[in-house]
Parts: sequence; structure tokens; C-alpha cells
Amino acid sequence: MDALHILIELTLMPLVAFVVGLFMVLMMRRIAARIQRRVGPPLLQPLYDILKLYGKQTQISHGILHDIGIIMAVGGYIAAETMLPVPGMNGIADKAGLITLAYVLMVPSLGLALGVGQCANPNGSIGISRALTAMLAYDIPFVIVIFGVAWQAGSNNLVDIIALQQVDGIASWGIVQTPLLAFAGLFALHAILGKHPFEIYIAPAEIATGPMVEMGGKYLGGLFVMQCFQLYTAGVIYTSLFLGGGENWLTFLVKSFAVVAVPICIAYLFPRFRTEDVVRLVWKWPVMLGLIGIAFVMN
Amino acid sequence: MTPLDYLLLLSLLTVVIALVAGHRSMGGVWLTFTYAAQLGGLMLMAGLTNQPDVITSSLSFTILGQSLTWRYDALSWYFALITISAGLLSTMYTAGDWGEKFRADGGNLWLLHVAIALNVLSMLILLGSGDLLTLFIGWELVSWASFLLMILAGGPSIQAAIRYITYAMGGAMAILAGLALIYGHTDSFTYPAAANILHSLSTAHLWAPLLLLTLGFGVKMALLPLHLWQAAAYAHTPGPGAAFLGAISSRMGLYALIVVLIQLVGLVRVIELPVLFSFISARDVLAWVAAFTIIFPTFTALRQNDARMLLAWHGIGQGGYMLLGLVMGDALGSAGGLMHVFNHATYQAALFFSVAAVVYRTGTADLNRLGGLVARMPLSFLAMLVGIIGLAGLPPMNGFVSKWLVYRSLMLEGEPLLFVAAVVGTLGTILSVYKLIHNMFLGQLRVEHENIREAPWSMTAPMLILSVVVFVTGLMPGLVLQWIAGIQATVGLPVIDYSLGGLDSAQGSLDMLWVVGVLFAGFGIGAVLFYSGGRTHRVHQLDNYAGGHFLSADIRYHYSDNFYPGLMRLIGPLYRYSFAWLESAVQSGLGLLSLSTQGFYRRVAPANYALVTAVLVLLWVML
Repeated sequence: MDALHILIELTLMPLVAFVVGLFMVLMMRRIAARIQRRVGPPLLQPLYDILKLYGKQTQISHGILHDIGIIMAVGGYIAAETMLPVPGMNGIADKAGLITLAYVLMVPSLGLALGVGQCANPNGSIGISRALTAMLAYDIPFVIVIFGVAWQAGSNNLVDIIALQQVDGIASWGIVQTPLLAFAGLFALHAILGKHPFEIYIAPAEIATGPMVEMGGKYLGGLFVMQCFQLYTAGVIYTSLFLGGGENWLTFLVKSFAVVAVPICIAYLFPRFRTEDVVRLVWKWPVMLGLIGIAFVMN
Repeated sequence: MTPLDYLLLLSLLTVVIALVAGHRSMGGVWLTFTYAAQLGGLMLMAGLTNQPDVITSSLSFTILGQSLTWRYDALSWYFALITISAGLLSTMYTAGDWGEKFRADGGNLWLLHVAIALNVLSMLILLGSGDLLTLFIGWELVSWASFLLMILAGGPSIQAAIRYITYAMGGAMAILAGLALIYGHTDSFTYPAAANILHSLSTAHLWAPLLLLTLGFGVKMALLPLHLWQAAAYAHTPGPGAAFLGAISSRMGLYALIVVLIQLVGLVRVIELPVLFSFISARDVLAWVAAFTIIFPTFTALRQNDARMLLAWHGIGQGGYMLLGLVMGDALGSAGGLMHVFNHATYQAALFFSVAAVVYRTGTADLNRLGGLVARMPLSFLAMLVGIIGLAGLPPMNGFVSKWLVYRSLMLEGEPLLFVAAVVGTLGTILSVYKLIHNMFLGQLRVEHENIREAPWSMTAPMLILSVVVFVTGLMPGLVLQWIAGIQATVGLPVIDYSLGGLDSAQGSLDMLWVVGVLFAGFGIGAVLFYSGGRTHRVHQLDNYAGGHFLSADIRYHYSDNFYPGLMRLIGPLYRYSFAWLESAVQSGLGLLSLSTQGFYRRVAPANYALVTAVLVLLWVML
């Protein structure tokens, strides 16, 4: 593969992720609206929101690390998108693999955590404390799922995992082959997205939106962009692990949107858990199912 | 004279210079140069890493028919490299203002220099051991040298150091007993003879020496349940001394375990060796000991309120990854375990240096009495940031690569529970190190710290050097993996097929050059997006959202104590301090035993003797 080709892929992949992510945010807001019997925002509202936030006149910085935190949060996701294969483009997926991807995805969170810390607001710090606790909770079923899938496929490489699932149609999809892992994965995915009932670190009524308490203007805009990437990443990882990836762009997008829609449809029906209840719940059911799933896979 | 002789002589010279000039103001600088000379001497032997060869020392003598020899191979070279570098940077750190302040505060700078030099020398001797007897001699030298370093600060360190030496003596007795068992079979202390006899021993007979030696060397590694001494002993050592100990000291236990488990017994045998009356093997036992050594100390670290204690507890936990990778025995796992020794040394020293710099400026390492220092000490913050990313094992730092290798090995070997245990350790580390950097450098700057400045260059330079190493070996892990491959070839492990950026494998490669490159390109784009937005203006930290109130400097607005309350409400009751309880139970049991024996010979109590005699006679008559 020549340099120009890979450069085009590395540029296109995050760009596609951002655009798809915008529509995922739109979908999320529309679903929420329908559940609450509202109309919901128009098509380009997410884009307008980001442009508005970046262009605002009042941009309050709490120090250089506050800025760097936002840069790391957005930049980390941009990098992670190049490790997620999409139809026709593999980026650097074969040079990184699943574990690397899982750990690169922690870099944006670390950046955000640093930026929030610099703001010197206890609400933000409590938010980060809760977010890290949630991460400790959901990453355990998540890595169990990664282990099971990698063992099943005999490889840590997402390209191989996808190729293996496309051998003979739906029958070879992960969700058919390893349904327990797929369910555990969906549960973990819901917690990763941090939507209700796992929304402990935003908790507007308790800690004044936690990490976002001192964020305004382009800082909040950066977080908005991050959310687009986050939804896209979650949907695509799950599609790649369990739904056979994308044979073409149409099925790829349909699957990814469907995956993201599942937790969102559930989310707005629930209130919020307490932190320790999140940990208890996530350490119990998805972990148990995931381990049973691994036991099936390894036999 | 071989290069090894030069190295040992240079190290001895360092000790002499420390003895003669350690109290002078320029002493630290001279010592720094002699450590650099030692490093140069070691580089003369760098050829060792390319071929399975040994360099013997001309120093050797015969006692009671046993010849004592010293020699270096790739394994010794690798550990020696870390040892000397740790000594060099710690001394560089001590040489400037830190040492001046240490002396002004009543510390014994001369003794600190001597202790570090002695530690380096004794470790170099241990690493050169060519037979079981020299291994034991080196072991004892290292134990007492680190005891000196731990105790020299006085105060609370005395108790910690005495606890250490008690454990170390217990361990040494176990090692001695193990060696005696082997000697009983062979009448020789040489490695080949020991390896021969250990290969031919039956399962039941192999267990005794194996267990004794593993326990004995495990004390230094602080493997569970022998870990209680380490955190306090390291944390109470003065700044650079703690960095030195945290970087390399306990890894001597790993070196000795490699010699025993891999070179003498052979890992294949350990993997096959069954635990009697069960279905698990010795390897499983070791792997689970390693896994628990990862988890428990890491979550103990999470609860610490002293930065040095927190780091020292993590040092114990990270040792678990090294052993875990090593006992997996495949190319990836053992490479990960060995590489983690280097990686851990680099970031751990950087972290201790950074904490010591904060203590130098503020006078405290209490995580509830700091905050907001990033605005005053940006370089120390940078070193700590690089260090914690390495410690937590996130890209792009070197800790990620070694942990990645261990994870991959656990996945390929089909060990899901150990894999989850390793990841749980990493996640706990992330929580803990964020608390560390948040409580020290982020959040609200306290009024009393308003006017402090960055630490002087003599202190920031070593930590920045280490930060660069942490980053560069994360970007190009092949630099370290070439030494690892040499070690694997020397000790008889499968050799890793590495590249500059990581490794190529059909089952999933890792190329850090690409990963890091893309990551920084991503940051670049993120920066462009960020700075293309509207103009920012800085506000004071008191100009914050406070629920409608106004903040003033006397309001403590920093969230620090009990940082993870939600998690602690769930796992808090699980902290039962069982190991501490066990230790105190053993302690009081031994106390009782010694008291009662003392009673027999100290007190003139004929009635006791009469009673015992009567009972014995009765028993004899009745039976």
C-alpha cells in the first residue's frame, strides 16, 4: 500500500466517523424526543450546535491544561477512528489490534480528566471520580468480551475478526456464534456510552453536569465532537465484533445505527443509579454472562 | 583483566569516593561522573546482548573446595544497566540543591551517597553470580545494603527497615535451606550440577527446594503474602533513595527467580510440575500469586493518602506483571515480563523524583494538603504525567507495550481469568494515579503555595531524562526488545520476533510507530480545531461556578479526600487487612514462643524442670 493511499484513508476515516457521529447524535436526540412526546431537533441541529459553540465570543479557559485536555479528548478519538476498519478502508487496524484500540480509547478520557482537573471545581472532580469508577466497572465485561472474541477468531486483529464473520453470512456472525458474549457486550456498551441509568458522572441535579461544569464555548464544543466520535466508535466496535462488520457501506451504517439505537431506546426510560449500584450491576450480570460465554467459546 | 573486572572495580571506586568525598559539596557531582563511567564500562560489554555468551571475572577463589566465580551474561547485563542508570540519576538528583536541603534539614548526605553506591556495587556483584554460593553471598550483600539505605533517614523509617530486614532474614534462611537441600544431592554449588540434579529429582523431592527458593527470593519481590514490608520501607527512604529502591531494588528478587525457575529448574518442568492432590501445576500457583500480587497491592495503593506510599504500593503491584508474564513462558509473555522491569524502573523513578520535587518545595507528600501545583511546577507535572501514563500502561508510553505483551500472551495461552486479573490491576492503577496527579497538581492551588517555584534543574533534569526514555521506548519498543531477545536466547526461552515498533504476528501485530504517530497527528488536528475556535481568556481559579456563592482564597475548593466514595462504599468492606492480621498473629506467636523458652533458661524454676521430667517419665512408663 503506497503512502498516498494510506494518507487518504487516515484522513477519510475520522472524517466519516465525525459525519456519521453527527447523525447518531441527531438520532439520539430524536429518539429521546419521541419518547418524551416532542418533535425533536431538525437534521443539521448537531452541526449548528458545534459551530455555535466554537464561534462563541465568551471562551473561558482555566489554564493551558484545560485547553490541552480538550485537544487530547478530540485528538485521541480522531486517532482511534483510524484503527476501526470500515468497508474498503482498514487504516492502521492491522498494526494496532483490539487491545491497543481499547487502550487508545482511554486516552481521550484521560485528556478530559486532566482538563477537568485543571478547572479546580469539585463538581468536575467528582464527575471524573465517578466516570473513572464507571470505567472500572464496564471495562471488566468489555475486556472479557474482547478476550472471548479474540479467542474465537484466533486473532487480535479486527480485520481478521470481521473477515471471519463474513465467511458465510449471518450464520458466522458473532451474535449467532457467541450470543452470551454478544449480550454481555451490549450491556457493557450501554455502560460505556454513559446513558441512563449509568449516567452517574453527568448527574446535572447532583453535581451540576460534572466534567462539563466549567466548560463553555469551544470547550463544550470539543466535548460535543467527542460525543459524536464516542457514539460512532461504540456502534462500529460492536458491529465489527458481533455483527460481521460492514459488507458494504449500506449494511455497515444500518448495523451501526441499529446498535447505537438499542441502548438509547432503553436509556430514556430509566432514572439514574447510584455509583456503587452501577458497579455492582455491571460486575454481576455482564461479567457472569461473559465468563460463561468464554467457557463455551473455549471448549 | 576483563571488562567485568573494570566494571566491578569502577563500582568499588564509586563506593570509595562516596566514603571519602560524600560529605563534600562537590561529592555528588564526582559520584555522578563515576556512575557515568560505570555505565561506560557496562557498554563495553554490550556485545553480550547479541550472542549467548558470558564474560567471566578474573576474580575467583576457592573456599573449602568450592570455587566462587562471577560472570555476566545478557540477563545480568540488562539488570545491571537498569541498576547503574538508577544509581546515576538518583545521584544526579541528590548532587544539587536537593542534597543541600537534605543536609540542612539534618539528614546525613554522606551516608545516603555511600548507601546508594553500596547498593549499586552489591547488586552488580549479585548479578554476576556464577554459582549458587556467590548467588547467596550477593543476595545477603544486597539485603544489607538496602537495609542501610532504608534506615538512614531515622524516624519512622527505622521501624519499616527493621521489618524489612526481619522478612529478608527469614527469606535468606529459606534460601539457605533450599541451597543446603540441593547441595545435599550434588556436593557442588555450580549451576550445571544443580540444574542436573534438579532435572532428575522426582516431583515430591523437587517441591521442597523449589518452594524454599521461591519463597526466599519472593520476599524481595514482595510477592503475596510476603509483601507487607515493602511499601513503608521504600516510602520512608529519602526522595532519590526511594526512587532508586523503587526502580530496581526489588527486581533483584526477579533476577534470582529467573535463575532458579528458568535456568536451573527449567520453565517446562515448572509448567508440568503438579501440585500434589490437585489438578493445578506449579505454574498456575505462581501465575495466581502474581495475579494477586497485581490486584491487592494496587487496590491498597488506591486508598493511600501519601504520594510516596501510593507509588511504593504500585511498585509491588507492578512486580506481579513481571512474574505473570515470565511464568507464561512463551516468547510474548516472558518478553513482556522482562521488558516491564526496564519500563517500570524508568517511570517509577520519574514519579518518585517528581514527588520528591514537590516535597522539596512544599514540605509535604500528603495528598490532602496539596493541589493546583501545575501552574507553579510545570516540569515536575510533565514528568509525573508521563510517569503515570506509563504506570497505568496507556499508549503512547513504554508501560503500555510491556503490558500489551503480557495481555497478548495470556490471550494466546487461553487464560481468561488471569487476563481479567491483569486488566483489573491496570484499571485500579488508572484510578489511583489519576487521584495522585489530581490531588497534587490539579485542582485548587492553596494560598500557602501561591509563591513556590519550579524545582531547580539538578532535580528536573533527571526526571525529564527519564520522561524522554519512557516516551522513546514506548514509541520504539524495539530498542529494549533487542536486549530482551538476547536474554531469551541466553536463558533458554522462546525468542520474540520483534520489530522497531513492536512485533509482527499473524495473530495481531503491534506497531507503536504508527499508533503513536497517528495519536499525535490526532492531537495535532484536535489542536487545529481548538485554536480555530473563538479567542479564549484566562480566569482566576476562584472565578468558578460555586452554586451561586462567591469563592475566596480561604475556601477550600479542592476535592481530594476519599476520592472514590462510590467505589469504596462497594469494595470498602472488602479491605479486611488480613495479611496485616496474619503478620501480627505470627509475630505474637513467635513472641510467645520466645518468651516461654526464655523462661526456661532465664528463670531459676526447678519446679518447671521437675514437672517436665515427671511428665516425660510418666509418658515413657505408660507407653
